[in-house]
Parts: sequence; C-alpha cells; structure tokens
Amino acid sequence: MNKLCRWPVTPLAWQLISFILFFGIWELAGRWPISFAFPPFSETLLALLGMTADGSLPKAYLSTLQPLIIGIVLCGIAGIGFGIGMGLSRALEWYSLPIFIVLQAAPMAALIPLITYIYGIGLTSKVLAVVFLAAPVIVMNSYKGIRNTNPSLIQMCRAFLGTRRQEVMKIILPHAAALIFAGLRLGLAMGFIGIVIAELLITPTGIGDLITYHSSVADYPKMFAAITSIILLAAVTIHGLERLERRLFPAEIRGS
Amino acid sequence: MIQIAKTTANLLISAALVAGLAGDTHAQGKTKIRYALGDVISIDELPLLIAVERAKARGVDVEVTAFKSEEVATQAVINGQADVGQGTPYAAVQKVNLPIRFFYQLSALQFFPVVAKESYKSWKDLDGQEIAVQGRGSGTEAIMILAAKQHGIKYKNVSYVPGSQVRALALLKGNIKATILDAANKNRVMKEAPDKFMILPLGNVKASDEALFATREFLDKNQAGIRIFLEELTKVNRSINANPKWVLDERKKLGLLKDLPAKMEDEILPFFEEAVQNGVFPNDGGAESAPKNDLEFYALSGALKGENLKVEDFWHLAPLKAALANVK
Repeated sequence: MNKLCRWPVTPLAWQLISFILFFGIWELAGRWPISFAFPPFSETLLALLGMTADGSLPKAYLSTLQPLIIGIVLCGIAGIGFGIGMGLSRALEWYSLPIFIVLQAAPMAALIPLITYIYGIGLTSKVLAVVFLAAPVIVMNSYKGIRNTNPSLIQMCRAFLGTRRQEVMKIILPHAAALIFAGLRLGLAMGFIGIVIAELLITPTGIGDLITYHSSVADYPKMFAAITSIILLAAVTIHGLERLERRLFPAEIRGS
Repeated sequence: MIQIAKTTANLLISAALVAGLAGDTHAQGKTKIRYALGDVISIDELPLLIAVERAKARGVDVEVTAFKSEEVATQAVINGQADVGQGTPYAAVQKVNLPIRFFYQLSALQFFPVVAKESYKSWKDLDGQEIAVQGRGSGTEAIMILAAKQHGIKYKNVSYVPGSQVRALALLKGNIKATILDAANKNRVMKEAPDKFMILPLGNVKASDEALFATREFLDKNQAGIRIFLEELTKVNRSINANPKWVLDERKKLGLLKDLPAKMEDEILPFFEEAVQNGVFPNDGGAESAPKNDLEFYALSGALKGENLKVEDFWHLAPLKAALANVK
C-alpha cells in the first residue's frame, strides 16, 4: 500500500493526465486516419487559434449567445415563477404538470423545425428553441424544490403561528433555492443544446454557420474547431455554475 | 445430446456453404453500386430512379440511399460507406486527401430569383437590400452574386436559409422578400400567390446542379458496371428531352414513387417540360462542357480556391466517353 502511494498524484494531475491521454488518442486517430474527414488534434487546435485570431469565432459567438441569453433570462424569470406557482398551488400543478412532463420527454430536435412554420426564421424562433429545451428542466426543478420542503419545518412555522406569507418567504423559498439554482444550471446546459440545434436546423448563424459552412467546403479542422469550442464553452460555463452552487448552498440544503 | 450437437454443426456448415456460394454468384454476375443521394427522393429524382431500374435489368444493382444533405452523402463516399455520390462538392474534392472525381453531369442548375412585387420590381431595386440564399458558398449564392455584378448592384445582407421549401414558405409568410428558389418551389409560390410575387430575369447559368462523383479506385475497378449505369442515365435524359411525357409513362410502367400525393403527381409534367425547355438534362452527360463551366462557376461561388484549376484534378471523363460510344 505504501509502495502505491510513493508518488502521490493530486486531483489536478489526474485531470491533466486524462486530458493528455484524450488529446493524444485524438491526434493518433487523426493521423492514422480513422477517416479522411477526421483531422488530428494539432490541426484542430491551430484552426481554433486561427479562427480566434481572425475574429470569425468571437463574431460567431456574439450571434450565438444572443438568443441563448435571452432564452435563459426568459426561462429564469417566467420558468422559476411558474415552477414556484405549481409548487404552491394544487390547481396550477394539476393544469400544467402533464405539459411539462410531456415537454421533457418530447424529442425536441424533431419539433424545432415546426417552430419556423409559426415564427419564421429569425431571432424569435431561436429564442423559442432555447426556451423549449430549457424551460421544462427549470420549471420542474423549481416545482420539486418547493414540494420537497421538509414538512417538519413547515409544521414548526405553523406551530409558531406563522402566516402563509412567512411560511413561503422564510421556510419554503430558502429551502428550495438550491434545487432552483440546480435547475437553472441544467436549463443552461439544455439551452446550449437548443441553440446549436436551432442554428443547425433553422438558419445557420453564429457557431452553427461556422459548422455548416466549414463542413460544406470540407475544411474539417475548422469544422471540428467550431464544434470543440462550443463544447468547451458549455462545459466551462456549467462547471463554473456548479462550483458557484457549491459555494452558495451548503451540502445539507443541496441534499448531497 | 451428441446427436443434436452433430446435427446443429452440419446445419451450420451447410448454411455457411450456401451463403458462400450465393455471395460468389452475386460477385460474378452482378455489379453493386452503393449510391448516396443528399436529398429527399422526389419527382426531380425520377430520371435517376428510371435509370436505376433499367441498369438493374442489365445486371447492375444500384442501391440508392437518401441522406439528409449533400455533405453527409459526400462524407459517405469519402469514408467508403458509399461508392457513388450525387451533388457538387467541389470544395471537398479539392481539399480531401483522396482522389475523388466527378464523372457525369446529371442536371444543370435551374434556379429562379423570386421577389415580393410590392417591394421590388427589378434587379436595380435589390441594391442595398437583404436577400436569402441556400447557404454560404452555395450555388444559389453564386448565382445571386453573379446577377448583382451583371446589374451593378450590391446587397446589404445575405442570409442563409437552407431548403428551397423553407425559403418558399418564408416568402409566402412575408418573413423574406427576395430569394432564389428551385423550379418546384417557384411554381408553388407563383401558384399560391401569383399577384404578390414575380420572377426576376436571369442570364444563362450552365454549371452542374447535380453531378456524380466517386473515388478513382472505384471507377477503375468497376468500369463495366459504371459504363452500363451511365448508358442508362444518358438514354433516360435523351428520352425526356425528346418527350417530357415519357417520364409519366415510365413511372407508371416501373411503379416508381407510388405513394406520391395526387397534388404532386400533377406537378411532374410541368416540372419536366420546363426543365427540358431550360436545357437542364444534358444529352451527353456534360461531356467536355460541364467540367469547364463548373470550374468557372464554383470558383466564383467561393467553393473552389486558387487559380489555374485543372479539369483533370476534378473530372475523370473516361467512363462517360466509354458509355457515349455505346449510346447512339
């Protein structure tokens, strides 16, 4: 056992080793090549740096992030509000819960092209694509957060003759905050999926345009660079939010 | 128990032998071509479907698979999952480190710039205005850029809306006011709202809309099969050019596209009559003219880069010449 621990490896080192291994296999697979359309990691990295330097990638993100942010802000306000409403009111729950369960299970990639029939091909359709994917998660988490409040705490509030307003503001909402925040984080992850699908299926703009265009002119390193960049951005953003969540809410409230 | 094991083993060996023999017969008697189509199979694919049936009768089994887009169909050829692709992926042919060559022009470009009458009445009115085309570096964009140059105008913005049917719908709903459509969708728009839209005149564009491409290796190894397939494609095009109604008769005779809605059935003849009038289907598979026209056009569209582009780096005309020698 002592022999095994002779060279202690920190978690950061493990992460680095994992990345080196992954990118190394990618480089080998591209050089072999597993497909003539699969570029090595080094070429993809150079393409990524080139696209950042010539401004095409930042310009694409300005276009992509616009509907994503609008969609998430809309879901953040209306979705959380609606989820809390569903948690507090049996009538609203009865009317709305089945809709959100169906929306969560529905294959959205098949539904997104239908949005264009009603809302055309502009910004509205892309915002709606983000909302359709993000809203069910955000609403359902907010709803569950409210419903999962510890009943003993509510009973305690009532025993001390707390009003319904005090019960909601001082017990239910603070208790549900962690789950609501987790819903926002998961909603943002779904929003990233929504915006990329919308930009690939509705009209190619922003990062979707870079993927479509470089694929059509067979510039595979740039196509992979665009795909990698959106994956990286989504992963880093979601990871950052997860860390913020851990800092804001103690483990006993997060339920982990 | 031992008897059961023996019987099972015998059955397995027999099955393997039968499968082996069947495979051998298949290899000797028939050529199989895995054909990648980057579009939904519809009325404009009827000439291909007729030629496929006729080639099958001559021992060449052409298996058509419809992919979501031309890019996916091209990838299938690059990765070896398909033998022959349909489309005009000139950029891929130029960039991919694999000798892929075009060898037959199926059809020439046929597109129509359609505008909302209340906003625009001529090319000059489009100066400083927004237009919608299929995609960046697409043939439709090249046509619109070419027209702008010819008329001395400049667009304010070019938006990319893939799918002629999507652009037609956006035009009908008023989301866009100027775009470029294929024949079927142009007819649809003009039929649904003839008073609201008009077609702007366009000079003659002779580049390929759909061409066939494959790896040099496949073309060299399957010369006989490819020659038969090209003979049938050429014969079909010539028959359509002689009489567009021939398509209707052949469709009925061969039982093609049986589940086509009645509304679309009525569109078959006008589509082919108009295409024949515009010289869309070449009688000679493009022969010498298609490669030169394509290189000029796709260099202008931005799909092809560099100067002094050579035909032999993109086209391999030997299979077509062999086929044309057999077709009178």
